[in-house]
Amino acid sequence: MIKKINILLVEDEKELAISTLNFLKENNYNCFHAPDVKSAILLIKKHSFSTVLLDLGLTDGDGLSLIKVIKNKNQETGVIVVSAKDALNKKVEALELGADDYLTKPFFFPELNARIKSLVRRLNMEENQKIVLNELTLFPEEMKVLVNDKVVDLTSKEFSLLLYFVSNQNRVISKTILGEFMSSNYDDYSFSDDLVYTHIKNLKKKMASLGSTEYIKNVYGIGYKFSVE
Amino acid sequence: MKLITKSSLTFISASVLFFLVGSIIMYFSVRTIISSNLNDTLLEKKINLEKQIEPDNVERFYSNDVFVSKTNSEITSSFSDTVLIENGKYILYRQLHFHYVVANQNYRITILQSQTKTDLLIAKIVIMNVGLAFVFFLILFFVNRHSVKNTLKVFYSTIQKLEEFDWNNNERLHLDSAQLFEIKKMNTVIQKMADTIRKDFELQKEYTENVSHELQTPLAIISTKIDEMMQSDNLTKHQMEQLALLMETTNRLSKINQALIFLTKIDNRFYSEGSTFSLNLLLKDQLELFSDSVEENNIRMKLNLLDTTHIYMDKYLAETMIDNLIRNAILHNNNTKEISISIENNCFTISNSGEKLPFPAEKIFDRFSKSAINKKSLGIGLSVVKSICELYNFKLSYSQENFHTFIIKFKS
Repeated sequence: MIKKINILLVEDEKELAISTLNFLKENNYNCFHAPDVKSAILLIKKHSFSTVLLDLGLTDGDGLSLIKVIKNKNQETGVIVVSAKDALNKKVEALELGADDYLTKPFFFPELNARIKSLVRRLNMEENQKIVLNELTLFPEEMKVLVNDKVVDLTSKEFSLLLYFVSNQNRVISKTILGEFMSSNYDDYSFSDDLVYTHIKNLKKKMASLGSTEYIKNVYGIGYKFSVE
Repeated sequence: MKLITKSSLTFISASVLFFLVGSIIMYFSVRTIISSNLNDTLLEKKINLEKQIEPDNVERFYSNDVFVSKTNSEITSSFSDTVLIENGKYILYRQLHFHYVVANQNYRITILQSQTKTDLLIAKIVIMNVGLAFVFFLILFFVNRHSVKNTLKVFYSTIQKLEEFDWNNNERLHLDSAQLFEIKKMNTVIQKMADTIRKDFELQKEYTENVSHELQTPLAIISTKIDEMMQSDNLTKHQMEQLALLMETTNRLSKINQALIFLTKIDNRFYSEGSTFSLNLLLKDQLELFSDSVEENNIRMKLNLLDTTHIYMDKYLAETMIDNLIRNAILHNNNTKEISISIENNCFTISNSGEKLPFPAEKIFDRFSKSAINKKSLGIGLSVVKSICELYNFKLSYSQENFHTFIIKFKS
């Protein structure tokens, strides 16, 4: 039995919190929710979390003040700041205070999920060096993937896409979200739908040539889905 | 013209005019006084003369300064000036003619009185007075100049401080304290104004941040809800397509919002610090990022990097500027599929093949002016480039011939 990962969501916007909690639960996380600084501190003291998703502008204070509280309690708790503020200095300030990642609103769930997974992997280095999924074995640090123990020669962009899909299995991911993911990861804002399509086509071709199941499926009109039965 | 020069000039011209008019008036008034004095002397002489005159010895009085001549007609007494030549010198005399009758014989007697001494006196008096007045004005001039200069010191310091003041900086404006009421008043007003501007500026920055926050959160809710809906199994194809469109549109809205906030930040001089770096290296890095897009679109890229050019600006803004121009060139390319970039003579030039603009060329840098063909484009990228260039006083120009050409001329 895999131990469920504890996540604390600090978010004052009710509707956003509901959607996020639903999404996290679907992905088998153990979720807690705090709408303000006060209740967040109570929860942090009571439980142990592997990741805290932190909104900055809260009704009773700045979420930045919580970073210290979290890191004092347990250095190994990851903190992902989720904020509408895109200002560079805010980002730097959060990271300097000890935050591990910074996500700007509006964000997409697959992106959030990928970031949580990447953070959890980073914080538990010894256990999660690789991701095994049927005939696939992924080594995120080395950007290497094996199909039936044979190395697939992927470009870094193709590998990023694959890792993104593996982090978000059985989920419809729209072209927009994939485009955004690639744009922000490669600082290339001209990343068009066509370009995403080309990369995925090449990825599928390379995987299939080594006998991998066709996991990545087109969802007509929307985007793609990485299906694992 | 400086205030001190202006006031000095006024002072000098007023003084000169005063001197001229004053000297002339003084000369003539002194002369009049002296003349009447001379007339008195002549009249006295006349009385003395009349006392001594006897019928047989009229001619006897003839001398250096008394002329006697016989005349048939009667003449009235009169004073006048005359000049005699004595030993080759012109000498000014005051003379009195009068009529005298001795033994039925009319005589015309003229008495002369030399004016040499009195003339000298007039000259001395005039020179002394004019000299005194001149020294007086000279002293007044320098005292006045010094005092004006001293008073203006605070004024100039205020102007200099205003000139050097960076509104983007968080520091308060500090003006020197003045003693003069007017300058003091001016400094107080400016100080008050500066504080208000600074406060407004802060508020505006805060407002920009708030707008960002307030809009991005609802957008986050919309896009996450759409994502949630997309995951349901029982959607029709049509519904799925609608959701995908909603997602794309929401993302676009958020992009526009972010771009506008970014533009506002540039215009608010939010990015005011910078560093010096090589434009060539920066361009190389940016082109690396576009390598896929370029390859995908089969675009021929011609590079002509002659000079290594170093520029001073915020690096993030530099990246954004170059990135936006390259993206624009890729996005609006046509079947010719060609882009050429050059760096030379302190200029960055990028030109691309493309269709003719559907709007006038001068509107190319306006926000939201875009061609209908490329719905991917937000229509903000080029106005961001323009704002950045304006921030650093770079000259940005556009021309449209066979190619669309953008040139940025950096300050040398």
